[in-house]
Amino acid sequence: MPDFQLHHRAALAGVTAINGARIRLTPLPEGTVLQVLGAPAEVGKSGEIADKYGFSVRKNGPADRFWVADQPVSSGFLPEISAQWPELSVVDQSHGRVRIAIEGDAVEDVLAKGTGIDLANFEVGSATTTLIGHIATHITRIAPDRFELMVLRGFAESLWHDLETMIREFI
Amino acid sequence: MASLISCPHCGSRPKEEFEIKGAALPRPAPDAPQSEWFDHVFLRENPRGRYDEYWHHAAGCRRWLVVTRDTASHEVEACRDAAERVPA
Amino acid sequence: MTSYRLSKGGQIDRATTLPFTFDGRSFNGHGGDTLASALLANGQQLVARSFKYHRPRGILTAGAAEPNALMTIGTGGRTEPNTRATVQELYAGLEARSQNRWPSLSFDIGAVNGLLSPFLNAGFYYKTFMWPASFWEKVYEPLIRRAAGLGKATNEADPDAYEKAWAHCDLLVVGSGPTGLAAALTAARSGLRVVLADEQPAFGGSLLSDTAALDGLAATEYVARCVDELRSLPNVKLLSRTTVIGWYDSNVFGAVERVQKHVAVPASGQPVERLWRIAAKHAILATGAEERPLVFGGNDTPGIMLAGAMRTYLNRFGVAPGRKVAIFTINDTGYALARDLEKAGVDLVAIIDSRLQSSVPYAGKARVLRNAVVTDAKGGQALSSIQIKQDGRFQSIDVDALAVAGGFSPIIHLACHRGGKPVWSDEQSAFLAPDNLNGLSLAGAAARTGNLADCVAHGSTEALAIATQLGKSGEAISVQVEGDLSGRVEKPLWSIPDNSGKAFVDYQNDVTRRDLDLAAQEGFGHVEMAKRYTTNGMATDQGKLSNINAIALLAEARGVSPAQVGTTTFRPFYTPVSFGALTGAAKGKHFQPIRKSPLHNWAVRNSATFIETGLWYRSAWFARQGETTWRDSVDREVLNTRINAGLCDVSMLGKIEISGKDAATFLDRVYSNGFAKLPVGKARYGLMLRDDGMIYDDGTTSRLAEDRYFMTTTTAYAAGVMSHLEFCSQALWPDLDVRLASVTDQWAQMSLAGPKARTILQDIVDEDIADESFGFLAAREVSLFGGKLRGLMFRISFSGELAYELAVPAGYGESVADALMQVGEPHGICAYGVEALNVLRMEKGFITHAEIDGTVTPADLGLAKMVSATKPDFIGKQMLKREGLSDPLRPRLAGLLPLDPTQGFRAGSHILSKDAAATLENDQGYVTSNAWSPHLQSTIGLALIIRGPERHGEEVVVWNGLYNEFTPGRICDPVFLHAADEKPHA
Repeated sequence: MPDFQLHHRAALAGVTAINGARIRLTPLPEGTVLQVLGAPAEVGKSGEIADKYGFSVRKNGPADRFWVADQPVSSGFLPEISAQWPELSVVDQSHGRVRIAIEGDAVEDVLAKGTGIDLANFEVGSATTTLIGHIATHITRIAPDRFELMVLRGFAESLWHDLETMIREFI
Repeated sequence: MASLISCPHCGSRPKEEFEIKGAALPRPAPDAPQSEWFDHVFLRENPRGRYDEYWHHAAGCRRWLVVTRDTASHEVEACRDAAERVPA
Repeated sequence: MTSYRLSKGGQIDRATTLPFTFDGRSFNGHGGDTLASALLANGQQLVARSFKYHRPRGILTAGAAEPNALMTIGTGGRTEPNTRATVQELYAGLEARSQNRWPSLSFDIGAVNGLLSPFLNAGFYYKTFMWPASFWEKVYEPLIRRAAGLGKATNEADPDAYEKAWAHCDLLVVGSGPTGLAAALTAARSGLRVVLADEQPAFGGSLLSDTAALDGLAATEYVARCVDELRSLPNVKLLSRTTVIGWYDSNVFGAVERVQKHVAVPASGQPVERLWRIAAKHAILATGAEERPLVFGGNDTPGIMLAGAMRTYLNRFGVAPGRKVAIFTINDTGYALARDLEKAGVDLVAIIDSRLQSSVPYAGKARVLRNAVVTDAKGGQALSSIQIKQDGRFQSIDVDALAVAGGFSPIIHLACHRGGKPVWSDEQSAFLAPDNLNGLSLAGAAARTGNLADCVAHGSTEALAIATQLGKSGEAISVQVEGDLSGRVEKPLWSIPDNSGKAFVDYQNDVTRRDLDLAAQEGFGHVEMAKRYTTNGMATDQGKLSNINAIALLAEARGVSPAQVGTTTFRPFYTPVSFGALTGAAKGKHFQPIRKSPLHNWAVRNSATFIETGLWYRSAWFARQGETTWRDSVDREVLNTRINAGLCDVSMLGKIEISGKDAATFLDRVYSNGFAKLPVGKARYGLMLRDDGMIYDDGTTSRLAEDRYFMTTTTAYAAGVMSHLEFCSQALWPDLDVRLASVTDQWAQMSLAGPKARTILQDIVDEDIADESFGFLAAREVSLFGGKLRGLMFRISFSGELAYELAVPAGYGESVADALMQVGEPHGICAYGVEALNVLRMEKGFITHAEIDGTVTPADLGLAKMVSATKPDFIGKQMLKREGLSDPLRPRLAGLLPLDPTQGFRAGSHILSKDAAATLENDQGYVTSNAWSPHLQSTIGLALIIRGPERHGEEVVVWNGLYNEFTPGRICDPVFLHAADEKPHA
């Protein structure tokens, strides 16, 4: 049935962005998330490749990176990358990970309710995976008052509801 | 038990981000005698003092680490990536 | 005569009136009152009945150490028993009820226990309630249960919210009295990140009750100046109403902030309590010292309180203790109280000073009796007189309030939470914090006796030392003080003879001096034994006022120094912590994270009933109109799938992408069977063993490209397998080039099973999937919907029918499932859940973790062929060779049927040979799985039975000892369905 209408359902289709004076919570559109693995030296250098294609590179571990973009990539993209850089394993996680933006002057106080990272020493550009409450979440500091959270699709709604509770006192 | 572990890749993190496997003992050669394998799989020392353990930073970088801690005082002496080859 | 509110003075807000009730009677208090100060202001001195003897009790302290004034506050789900009135902030509408009394506080029948006291002394429960033996369960235990406890908890749900948070700092200062304020200021000014925590709603600690002057300012003004500066600094976090409850490893501190325990109706956007985890590079305990009661007869009579407490009620809350007040003191602080009482116009009639002389000049009106002690207090429900012994002679004075100043014990608890033992100092007559504390130091009265100026200086120099250590510089703070009488070390007075009434050591558990003597006499003089034998220190106040006195009395009884008696073990928490604070937000539906399949909404729309599998919500069955029980649905799904087709969501099974040059070698080492030679485009069932040779998990791994594999695991073991593979790759074989990525959430995966499966699928799959093109165990990327989508397809079967698993990017999962249901409708497709999945697999003898229970080897399950004889190394290889694991008498997999199909049996039941007695010796094995098979119209089961495969056809008895069921059955082939045309291979 080649004419069936395929629908994409976002993991956070059922939630609404929250806008407070001191804190804002926004589900981000599902674009591209690639997980790039390999030998640490190769993975470390891969940032240059990512830059060329306009991806934002987020560190996850010594030999583990996420390449993130707001737009989806074409289906030929992954084979092209893998062919050009065979030393890297590039795994599509565009559906496996969901992104949430959290920003506002209370952002550190809110996130401190979930993670034990000393956010005062977590500079812009830093990225890591940590527990937020009971859910492992990848966090990137995009700007002084803005973080992007990335979570397994299966936990996206659950994390969102936890964040809703955490921001309540600032709304 | 230490409340914070200083992961060499991620910095200081609460212990809840980790899972603990047990003693960090070298795996016997595949063809080592049964008795050596038996000891490796089933027997453990239980020292009061320095102890090397495999910890997994499961909610962080997902790297396996060797944590050297004192079983009595809970002081963590060292924490390194398990893939590092330490001189014998 | 009773306590009363003074017409002026105190730090309360007299403009705000707060009505409250106590035992149903209405009273008024003011803003800033505690429940205790408001009760005292209203002359309500009788506030409780003691635990064992039901003695009338009054308010003894003004703080967290209070042993007597325990009340139940609030109603419904907010009811909180055993709340100390001395720390409960008053709010309009507060409802308080006294505890442990019937029918009323003033007339309590339980007081009759006092008459039984000769039988209720220390250790009585080791000597009583033993005879007759039958009485224990029917009489004694129910009685004891009713008598036990003080307040009663509610069974209603707590409507309030709780929260947890982390904080980080260079220096945590615990306590905001003169010492803590100086430490915090010094550190903050030097640029350190400071957290200052105080259990009180206002900062200032002891300064709030003091009338001394610091730098020319009244104590409260001095506090305000310090706090204003601290508030203005961005590197300072101020936590009031926050008790630091524990010192943990890595210099992490636990603290509970009472965010909204002082309001009638908490605002819903905020928690009522917040549990802080504070990671501090250093901490200073500026926790002060606890004043001790003195041990004399009737020392628990309402109207008697600690001298410092009396001073607090006077200076902070404007409450006078009574009309005729006496002070019994062993040091100079009694005179500071005397001065303040007389300045407020309260009638002080006597000062009983145990010392021969004191250096404080006293110019007031009270009689001063030196070298004197109070031996007894009288009055029952309210103090009426005290008996004094001086120079061997007794006299009685009428009083309605007595202050007791028994000396100070440094509050060192936090410093002892990590295993260090306190050290007795003869010079200080006190237990001091252990030596060599890493990252924690003490200052002020918590460290040593000193006056106000000493406290400020000490707090500041400690902070300065820490700042220097952390590379910052600063200046020490000092202060000019006037009117301060504190600071001299005095010899304690542990023991006062000639008591006619009971002399209490532990008020909350009714432990008297005699009880401690008895413990020593009966051989329980060791401090840990005496504690359990007498219950001294075991109440909710954790011995704050009783432990030191008890240690000293034991020392006297044993003829040794307190140093040799020592203290009992200190542990967190310093004061009780609510379960709510420890739970935080993780309650109700948020108790644990919820993990949803990408097909969740599809399942909801198809009327799925969900079941929790770990954190996942899995569809168990899909009810249709007219179906009333789960069996109606499941039987239909099972039958239909074997006739037409069924669609099942299997997205939650673990999926792992394994790549790298050495991926094949790696797989060979983690599976018991061979994978290195698996052809590209094929799937293979694999067994993963543990080091001890037992099966850990099973799954299917497919080779999608030369160096790219796609592994599936079971749902429950997905996380475990991932961690295991990471361990193998990183710790065991770091030289192998292997990359692992968890892609469980990337793919929505559905199983389409049944004779019509291929027909239905062909409608959405672009390439030809005839048997010749897509054979059994084929595994490939496929194009769907005319090139609109790419997915992965695997021809594997868990139902024994023709079946495929289709994986599509998760965001399109729902849409693809809808498409399959639409295309499949004319073919009779149905959705099926895990219940039907389980029946289908059981009918075909397929195993799950019900059989893989951690105690079985591949051979036990008839899978010996899956253990490679040629691979040089794989996990579990060596231990699998253990002799016992090839014992032919190990239970092995077989099928089980009841002889009478109208009978059933349960999983977990054991197998007995026919006519064998039901004993452990006759145990032949056990049932691992069972279900109703609509195809066989019978219960079927899988079981591990001794020589099971050789006993097909044998009649046995299925025995369940828990339910006392004996079901005649027959061992059979675990593959129940061998339908002539069942062809998973076609």
